[in-house]
Amino acid sequence: MFYPPSPQGGLERKMRSYNLNIAGYNIGFESLAGGPDFAPSERFLRNITQKKGEDILIRVHSGRLILDEKAERVFHAPYVEEINGVLIQNRADFWSVWKYRSDLFITTIFPLSASEKKATLKFSLTSTEWDLWVEGADSAIDPFEYPLDGLILYYLTVINGDILIHASGIVNNGKGYLFSGISGKGKSTMAKLWENSGAKVIHDDRLVLRNTGTGYRMYNTPVYNNDEPRDAPLNKIFIIEHGTTNKIIPVKGATAISLIMANCIQHHWGSEIIARLLGSVSIMSGVVPTAQLSFRPDRHVIDHILENE
Amino acid sequence: MPGLKSIISRSPSIVTRKTGNEYVLVPIANNIADMTSVYTLNETGAFIWDQIDGKRSVEEIIILMTSEYEVGFETAREDVFEFVEKMGKYLIVV
Repeated sequence: MFYPPSPQGGLERKMRSYNLNIAGYNIGFESLAGGPDFAPSERFLRNITQKKGEDILIRVHSGRLILDEKAERVFHAPYVEEINGVLIQNRADFWSVWKYRSDLFITTIFPLSASEKKATLKFSLTSTEWDLWVEGADSAIDPFEYPLDGLILYYLTVINGDILIHASGIVNNGKGYLFSGISGKGKSTMAKLWENSGAKVIHDDRLVLRNTGTGYRMYNTPVYNNDEPRDAPLNKIFIIEHGTTNKIIPVKGATAISLIMANCIQHHWGSEIIARLLGSVSIMSGVVPTAQLSFRPDRHVIDHILENE
Repeated sequence: MPGLKSIISRSPSIVTRKTGNEYVLVPIANNIADMTSVYTLNETGAFIWDQIDGKRSVEEIIILMTSEYEVGFETAREDVFEFVEKMGKYLIVV
């Protein structure tokens, strides 16, 4: 990593290579000859690591990669914004996944960027060296800019047999609890209740779940500017919804798997990629106890959970 | 609707995982998994699913079920046809 001094004597975040530690993955970025300088966004600064030994190395090029005309588009995402609680499709051409032979490609624009950049990521589910082409950059770039951050992270979980899930997670007296549900089910509410009772919140919206060999752990990912890397053991999974009473119903087997699957972050196209996730969730649900939890949003739900341990 | 002599096979547009005596089935629509329609099969459903191999007739599956669960032909017939009706989208009648 190289931080040149800025004219004001501070550090200017412009460099040619660096590594991020996110959810325990070491992600290396390297600008090749003629490639752009890097200027990581503020929300990733706490994830920059000096540690080498990448799980994935992304070589960055300037310019455009022309896809083979036989490449097949297997997934397409429009750009949807939530404005005053209403989902509005703003642009049809957001990001797409393409397949050609054993190679995969993601083409994307950057809707939150001031410049009209476009990028193509070339990768595969068996390679640990990927290539990223960025065109239209008028200054240093963040190669992990939205939506590439979530997409790269998602395919890292696929490669490693891990799980990206809509969930909040907390750790209380060394025990980690995960609360999963789609938007509006109470993930953030639950995280806040635990935080107010002195527990540490790992994240309130999205988690990566990994089998470390000695047990499952949950990791946050940098979503907000002040997110620092956090992780905790995963001791129990709750599938949550608001209710009139606090009630825990243990689930296992196919029921547990289907409930967890429904909350996993999905770009699932093709049977191979779905089978991988189904396998990962099946293995996890055989190890980590799962329960459905309906709850009233007050402190008593915490007592209820702890009493039922 | 298939009859007793119909041979059925599984549609490729579904990803399955057996866990214990149960199954989780994830349908694929337009090449994308439909996570809002994930099916779970109990032990009986899983047994029927396992017998669907593109070679056995519905009648043969019913007979296998009568010996596996020690039930009469009529009971097994109702279970198998109910299963075939519910899972019809993911079965191919040969």
